[in-house]
Amino acid sequence: MKISTKLIMFFCGVVTLFVLLAVALLAQTRSVSAGYDTLLARQVRQAEAARVIQVSFKKQVQEWKDILLRGHTPDDLAKYTRQFHEQQTAVSNGAETLAADMQDAECRDLLNQFVAAHKALGEKYQAAYDVYVGGSFDFKAADKEVRGKDRPPTDLFDQIVKRLNDDVAASVAAQARAVARARNLALALSGGLLAGLGLVGFVTVRTILQRLGRLKAVSDRLAKADIEGLSVDISGPDEIGQFGDSMKGVHAAIEELTKLASAAGQA
Amino acid sequence: MAAKLNDFYKQAAQEFGLAGRIKLAMLTKISSEKAEAAPDSPENIKIFQQAMAQLRAGGG
Repeated sequence: MKISTKLIMFFCGVVTLFVLLAVALLAQTRSVSAGYDTLLARQVRQAEAARVIQVSFKKQVQEWKDILLRGHTPDDLAKYTRQFHEQQTAVSNGAETLAADMQDAECRDLLNQFVAAHKALGEKYQAAYDVYVGGSFDFKAADKEVRGKDRPPTDLFDQIVKRLNDDVAASVAAQARAVARARNLALALSGGLLAGLGLVGFVTVRTILQRLGRLKAVSDRLAKADIEGLSVDISGPDEIGQFGDSMKGVHAAIEELTKLASAAGQA
Repeated sequence: MAAKLNDFYKQAAQEFGLAGRIKLAMLTKISSEKAEAAPDSPENIKIFQQAMAQLRAGGG
């Protein structure tokens, strides 16, 4: 193979390697981006929605306490009753929507349990409210009806939030592991390919230099007309081989010239 | 002995003189001294025939 062909192939190899690396990095970046997009689009959004429902439920309980504490005033009773129902509706709708959107079966089951428990709690709140309003704002009697009843749904929803947060954390960890794997693979591949190309380049250059050295030695001896025992054993299909072949002709011509000169001298 | 190869050298000398011998050595890469020791193989004869043709085409 000609030296020019080897050099062109080496150059093309380097360019191809870098193009492939660029394409691989682009694909890896897209894959990472798609993974995080999926995570943000579903799991993180659901975890966020769950936190909103959790806060709304706490606000609902807070509104109930405000009713008991300040409901003896008609304006406050109307205000806190309205706010209580708003929070109750937000919690109920939010939990049902989240359950419908949920892919994790266990989490969906927990949500359905919460929806049922929340509905039952709502009925108890209504009964307690009736006791409160009907009993001249006797907050003790009303509180007795629902005291501690919000704990089981609260615990249930805490489990849902924890599970969703754990899912997000697990997905982020899995994504980080996938990124690390892809990065290590890219590093190993590019390192291996670069090392391979470097080795090929080194061997090629070393071979060329060695053959050029032999060619120079022959050329130096021909320049000094030192052809005694000279052997031009440089061959090959490349430019150095062709040059060596030409040297053989020059060598033979000098030998012939020397022989003729010697014969002429003897005559 | 390579009688045929030596004949090529004699032919070159007759047709083109000493310069012809030197050019023949250059083209065949085999000097007359080495031609004496080289075999009259079909490959060698072909090389010398082609060289002679080149010499003739170039006018020696």
